[in-house]
Amino acid sequence: MLNAFKDITEAARRGGSKRIVVPWPTEQDLAVLAEAAAAGLVSPCLVGNGGRLKALVDRSSLAAGTCDILEEDDPRQALLKAMAVVRSGDGDILMQGGAAKSDLFQALRDKDAGWLNPGGVLSLVSVFSLLKREKLILVTDTYINNHPTLVEKQRILGNALDLARLLGMESPKTAVLAAIEQVNPGIPSTLDAAVLSKMAERRQFGRAVVEGPLDIDCALSQVAAKRKGLQSAVTGNVDIYLVPEIDTGLLLAEALVFFGRMKTAGVVMGTTRPVIVDLPFVSRENRVVEIALASLLCRKGGKDA
Amino acid sequence: MIGSLADFARLAREKGPKKMAVLAPEDEEFMTAVKASWEKGYIEPVLIGDGGKIAGVAEKVSFSIDPFEKISRADPQGISDLGIGMLFSGETPIAGKGQIPTSYIYRSIIREEAKSGSGMTVSVVTFWEIPGIDHLVAFTDTGVNIKPNLKAKREIIRNAVFVYHLLGYPRPRIAVLSGQRDLGGDLASYGDYRALKEAAEAGDFGSCEIMAATSFTDIFLGRRDRPVDYGRIRGDDMPHILLVPCLDTGNIICKLDFFLDVTRSSLVATSRGPVCIPARSDFSDNIVQQIAMSVVLADRMERR
Repeated sequence: MLNAFKDITEAARRGGSKRIVVPWPTEQDLAVLAEAAAAGLVSPCLVGNGGRLKALVDRSSLAAGTCDILEEDDPRQALLKAMAVVRSGDGDILMQGGAAKSDLFQALRDKDAGWLNPGGVLSLVSVFSLLKREKLILVTDTYINNHPTLVEKQRILGNALDLARLLGMESPKTAVLAAIEQVNPGIPSTLDAAVLSKMAERRQFGRAVVEGPLDIDCALSQVAAKRKGLQSAVTGNVDIYLVPEIDTGLLLAEALVFFGRMKTAGVVMGTTRPVIVDLPFVSRENRVVEIALASLLCRKGGKDA
Repeated sequence: MIGSLADFARLAREKGPKKMAVLAPEDEEFMTAVKASWEKGYIEPVLIGDGGKIAGVAEKVSFSIDPFEKISRADPQGISDLGIGMLFSGETPIAGKGQIPTSYIYRSIIREEAKSGSGMTVSVVTFWEIPGIDHLVAFTDTGVNIKPNLKAKREIIRNAVFVYHLLGYPRPRIAVLSGQRDLGGDLASYGDYRALKEAAEAGDFGSCEIMAATSFTDIFLGRRDRPVDYGRIRGDDMPHILLVPCLDTGNIICKLDFFLDVTRSSLVATSRGPVCIPARSDFSDNIVQQIAMSVVLADRMERR
């Protein structure tokens, strides 16, 4: 099981270098790519205006001859070209680069483009490294879906379970978070959580323990849960935190980073090929870990990467 | 100006003991907190609930409750109505929740506020003491309003501003939090931010300021176009009040004290005085802290 970011990077490095395709990269992207290439994780393929890209590469620490440049003068076309390269098998990972997120996700959701998994729901899983012990936790969805329906939450949970299993968690323990630990028809998140928990009980998520609704104190502390009369294998030892909606998801991820100084790296799930996006609460150093995470996803093969 | 939870503890010793209607202190952790608060001189408890259970739990924690007024009641709503009624009639300046579901307390408060014609919406203010930040930071509403609309959020802000004015902050800064980002269109929480900012600028909430920040990235980095650098995380622009978009967000984030290096303390400020509402999972030290906070708030409300 992978318990730390260094484990992810090491596992990815052992899997060999992947070709990462980046439309209209920024200077910050180049710095991250240089680090990832030096670590033996990737060889970059940059798509955009040739002159601009050559100048960027010259200013970066990317070693000469370690990246390809594909000429495309229009930024929007650069995104589509980059996606086509990855889809064709000439690339392994798509990185957001300078593309607008709205353009990127619109293109990913295009049913004819072949980027969506059969479930059809994209989600962002943020992986956090705990400070006090060697353990990784997953929080989802922290960026993509505003107010997911129950069906969408089912897919989002499925996406997170896929990543958890890839990281070596055999029977991931999930807390479906809500404001309270009791099922209250007045609080919709508690109803969704209860249904997901019941679905897991009936093995609809495979080997996994899903507990919900759980408030955060019960999720984080077995003692707190016990005081509320709740006993579960999940409390105090959660692998995946599933949030009710995006207000909570984004703010929870940010709170862990800014108040908790916890390191995080995220990856888009639900795609046929690995995709990584640029988020302000991910440090430059941890963007390299995101590339490593995406590299691990390549191993799963095209269909359900 | 009160800047830390230690300030509350110090002031509670000075201003106490104050009478506190204690609702269903039928749990060892809570009774231990009542005992400690009495010994520290914060409160003089009026114990309301199942007489047998109260006596039993007091004995378990070696607390002699003979000197205190005791009112025997069995049903939770009856206990809550009686205790909150004592607060609103002025009989006790504070009420505090023991082992009784919070919903009963909120129901009693809402009824009493309606009877008194105060127009005050019930909301919970949860303070965080954060190392390195020179003031207490409050999340609100973390307990009552499941999905507050704009009107409710205006009332929630008014309540929190009222509390901060009592703490000695003449112009508290507020961040209206939202999951708004460069994807997914405009969220309702972001629309609320814009409307509330305009209202604050028009003076609708009295002396306060709504900051141009809706996320922790905005608050800590001031911008979203470059990645976080852990060596440079500062809280210099940390607001006093963080208005959360909904109950799920508020409750999930404010209880991260189980995970992060912060200390949490909550209360409900009613028009007649504070109600101390520890979570059922809180431990006695934390409950004592919350009682101290209520004592100080009660004192400042009395002096107004």
